[in-house]
Amino acid sequence: MTTTAPVVKKNLALELPTDSLRKWLRDMLLIREFEVRCMQAYQDRKIGGFCHVYIGQEAVAVGCTAAVEHQDPIITAYRDHGHALARGMDPKYAMAEMYGKIGGCAKGKGGSMHMFDKANNMFGGHGIVGAQIPLGTGLAFATKYEDEVMNGGENSRVTLCFFGDGAINQGAFHEAFNLAALLNLPIIFICENNGYSMGTAISRGTAMGHDITVKAKAYGMDSAVIDGMDVLSVYNGMKPIVDRVRETSKPVFVDIRTYRFKGHSMSDPRKYRTREEEQQYESEDPIDKLALVLKDERRLGDEEYDEMVRDVRQQVRDAMKWADESPAPPIEELYTDVYTHAWGPYLGTSLPEMLRKSSGDDAS
Amino acid sequence: MPREIEFRDALREAMSECMREDNRIFLMGEEVAEYNGAYKVSRGMLDEFGPRRIIDTPISENGFAGLGIGAAMMGLRPIIEFMSWSFSLVAADQILNNAPKMLYMSGGQFGCPIVFRGNNGAGGQLGSTHSWCVEALYANVPGLKLAIPYDPYEAKGLLRTAILDDNPVFFLESERLLSIKGDVPEGPYEIPFGKAKIRREGSDCTIVSFGRPLYFCLEAAEALAKDGIECEVIDGRTIRPLDMETIVKSVRKTNYCVVVDQSWPFASISAEIAARVHQECFDDLDNAVARVNADDVPAPYAYNLEQEMLPNARKITEAVRAVTYNA
Amino acid sequence: MPIDITMPRLSDTMERGTILKWNVKEGDAVSAGDVIADIETDKATMEMSAYDDGTIAKILVGEGESVNIGTAIAVLAEEGEDPKSVSGGGKAKGENTAKKQDAESGESGSRVAAAVSEKKDDEADTARDSSTDKAPASRGHERGENGRLRISPVARRLADDNDIDIRAIQGSGPGGRVIKRDVMQAIEAGDETARAVPPAAKRRTESAGETMPVQAKRVDLSQPIVLAGKGDDEPRPLESRTIQLSNMRQTIAKRLVESKTSIPHYQVSYTFNMDPILALRGTLNKQLEPQGIKLSVNDFLVRACALAMHRHHEFNASWKGDSIQIHGEVNIGIAISLPAERGGGLLVATIRNADHKSLRIISAESKHLAEKARTKGLSIEEMSDSTFTISNLGMFGVEHFTAIINPPNSAILAVGAAIQKPVVRDGQLAVGHEMAATLSCDHRLIDGAMAAEYLQTLKQLIENPATLLV
Repeated sequence: MTTTAPVVKKNLALELPTDSLRKWLRDMLLIREFEVRCMQAYQDRKIGGFCHVYIGQEAVAVGCTAAVEHQDPIITAYRDHGHALARGMDPKYAMAEMYGKIGGCAKGKGGSMHMFDKANNMFGGHGIVGAQIPLGTGLAFATKYEDEVMNGGENSRVTLCFFGDGAINQGAFHEAFNLAALLNLPIIFICENNGYSMGTAISRGTAMGHDITVKAKAYGMDSAVIDGMDVLSVYNGMKPIVDRVRETSKPVFVDIRTYRFKGHSMSDPRKYRTREEEQQYESEDPIDKLALVLKDERRLGDEEYDEMVRDVRQQVRDAMKWADESPAPPIEELYTDVYTHAWGPYLGTSLPEMLRKSSGDDAS
Repeated sequence: MPREIEFRDALREAMSECMREDNRIFLMGEEVAEYNGAYKVSRGMLDEFGPRRIIDTPISENGFAGLGIGAAMMGLRPIIEFMSWSFSLVAADQILNNAPKMLYMSGGQFGCPIVFRGNNGAGGQLGSTHSWCVEALYANVPGLKLAIPYDPYEAKGLLRTAILDDNPVFFLESERLLSIKGDVPEGPYEIPFGKAKIRREGSDCTIVSFGRPLYFCLEAAEALAKDGIECEVIDGRTIRPLDMETIVKSVRKTNYCVVVDQSWPFASISAEIAARVHQECFDDLDNAVARVNADDVPAPYAYNLEQEMLPNARKITEAVRAVTYNA
Repeated sequence: MPIDITMPRLSDTMERGTILKWNVKEGDAVSAGDVIADIETDKATMEMSAYDDGTIAKILVGEGESVNIGTAIAVLAEEGEDPKSVSGGGKAKGENTAKKQDAESGESGSRVAAAVSEKKDDEADTARDSSTDKAPASRGHERGENGRLRISPVARRLADDNDIDIRAIQGSGPGGRVIKRDVMQAIEAGDETARAVPPAAKRRTESAGETMPVQAKRVDLSQPIVLAGKGDDEPRPLESRTIQLSNMRQTIAKRLVESKTSIPHYQVSYTFNMDPILALRGTLNKQLEPQGIKLSVNDFLVRACALAMHRHHEFNASWKGDSIQIHGEVNIGIAISLPAERGGGLLVATIRNADHKSLRIISAESKHLAEKARTKGLSIEEMSDSTFTISNLGMFGVEHFTAIINPPNSAILAVGAAIQKPVVRDGQLAVGHEMAATLSCDHRLIDGAMAAEYLQTLKQLIENPATLLV
């Protein structure tokens, strides 16, 4: 097949049960509230290092994860809080990780850019731009290998590999695309195209930046362009692709157009774009859009929505309190998880509380 | 039953035996399948295990190294062959940033049981880009293990240990040794990491090395023995973990130590070992530890220059004489 | 073409420099960068490095001599040149060298004076007779002499374990380093000369004297007296052995023989009531304790001797053969014994202008000098120009002794311990502290009555110590 943007004949999302759609709304609200509180906590110096928030892009993570099964692996870059929450990580573990506490998903040793959740098949946020694309390719290789070589069956899983538009200029992107195409791997490469790699507009950093699906064409890979400012559109675009990849075990590239409402990181003054541009996208807020649709269709009342907002706020507030109260990692953690077993100064490995207490509980 | 086989055959036996036992293990790399291995290490493996487990890759080290790491995160146990460790440099981000740190960054959730193996070291007149000795560069990184086999017996036993290890292992072979023969038992056996082997006993000077330079050390030791200087030659086997115990015990006996290391001298394995011998054996030393490294220059092409650049028996002999005050 | 090595400019204000020590001798091979000599400038003692490779053909300026900047001090033969055929310097000496005044030498013998002439001659001979490969051994001894002994760690341990005196071993390693082989040979040869001196002989001594109860040092005769080999190991019989002379020991021997045989010595003793000074010292030390200052009895003596000079100029003078030189500065020398590990021996450190210094400063200076002498060694300046010397053995419980004058001083005060004893005070028998001190004088300058008067003045000052505070 050649590059095609799948034509959606009907609105698949609206055929779903109301509870599913309400959950998407709630997930997006949770991500938004979590990120706002992260910004606040960062300014309160409770969060160190870099902090990249996902505000504006919530529909991408929520719509994409909705389109796959829980068993399907996902992997992403450093702007990863949204993916972890969309995948079902309890915000208290995510926030404790932000705070560098032992209760964090990685016991405070990964930080903002490295959210891992094995129980939810979240294979991490990854800090080096593009480095997770070969890893994602390996995840897809492994699911297929397990299903077909080890278990003698058919491939059953689809890997979602997220990255930003800045990553498409990395060698790792092209090497992974080539390998996935050669080896027919069941992976969907998702470019969360927010138009800027840090402060560089895509037109200034990427040849053919106006149509990056041509990158996939070079590898004979199917591709699609999806509106990422609307979770219904993300789901409607992704669901048929996921189904097809599961069936054909061939990689697909998706260009999801989205927008980062805030700066690249907390220290970004956003001088490279205009206030008008930001306002235009803010008027397309994916949360407002879905709330409007659900209210229009009378699948959500005003009071129910207000209740949902309050509930999410309380959940994040509780998460912050929990993170605050979680102790700093004990010094032994310095030498834990370097190797899987103890030798020399190293102390072997141990699982975070998240996995010990709630393994599987957060499955969506 | 031991029988004499080549180094490359020993490597293959280790891989094949492991692959027969555990179908999570696969071999991936450039020319490993249809070409039967650029150095014939994987000869015949495609026939036995088929293309799903013996996988040819394009020349794309960063891509397939990363693919292997992703697969290892999922629980597979990849063996990734670098035709040469010199080419691993383009995969540095994957093999140094991802493989050794995944367990730590994920707070113990995702390990990375993977073996990277291939040829390391100069000596074949390949010029500077293809003559890397990566041990000094890579051993700097916590989270990985690093082994350097000396002969066919070691190759098989150490590689099996590497494949069974739950952590990333960098396995550094030498193209110059692939054709040497040695006694190797049939069937699987393991050589534990972090246990050095004394290749030659002696009371007058300790020589520590890894892999191919050990041959030069033993040659030097024989020459020195004719003059009554008996060297103890220690094969470190693994650099991470490093068996300081054996080294320290030997130096306490001999009071002299020469470290022979085929990488460059600055911030090298020999520098590390020398520093630790000075720390741990200070009161046992009769002279500062001497180091024999490759010269601090890019590897040249010309035969004579390359031979002069690398550690050799003459340099080792001189170093032992100097350090034992027999110059 | 031989290269002249000239006196380098080692400080911005330096005009002349003194060769403190040559690290090379004629016939030695040197490489660019080697430290070939220690040079005393107007500011500091500096190392002088060679700029070229070659062989030292001639040394033109001996140790202890000073010359102007730019003056040739040695000649270097380059590769291919025969050092022996290089004649006395590439060019004429820039000037006559001036031997540094003897002022700094003394009873103790400074390490500079370190036998300037003998050493030079000896080594010149050695250099002519021997090839350079003997150099390390002799250099080893030079190292040993200034206290910096080169020895490998395991050799040191072996020597310790076997009670081998490492200073008696010729090092065969680079730079004369004593290595394992050397110690093993010493052990195997049963080299008695290398047997360590018993620890008692290694005991450090203090120059800044503290009063000490005599009984603390008294030997308990009820126990058999043994010389322990090492710590509390089993006793070892006394053995015959030969100890080679260090340069310092040679210097001490030479200078003291010279002093004792050429100066008409005589001694005058006096006993001082020490109760007032001990009381004052106790009070002061209590007050000064928070500042970390602890005055010794010797500090008071230095101050007292210095102040006394203002009434007795001849005690701050030098005999010049046909004249008497009265010095304008009062510089009190204090004898310091060096620990066995540093090669033993004695030196005299100088407290300059002691008459203008408070007790607090005298105390700080003497502590600093004693410590430095025992660890790093003293600079020439710190050992030169004393005008009067105090030697104090009080801390050993010595009651009374006499000392040999430290030329070119005209007198030396030998001080014993302040000892608690029955005394008669105001016609009453009481318990008090007394200290005996013996003044050795050069009769050419100082007559007996003058000595008695000086001691009277000293007694006044010591028994009314408040005057020392102002």
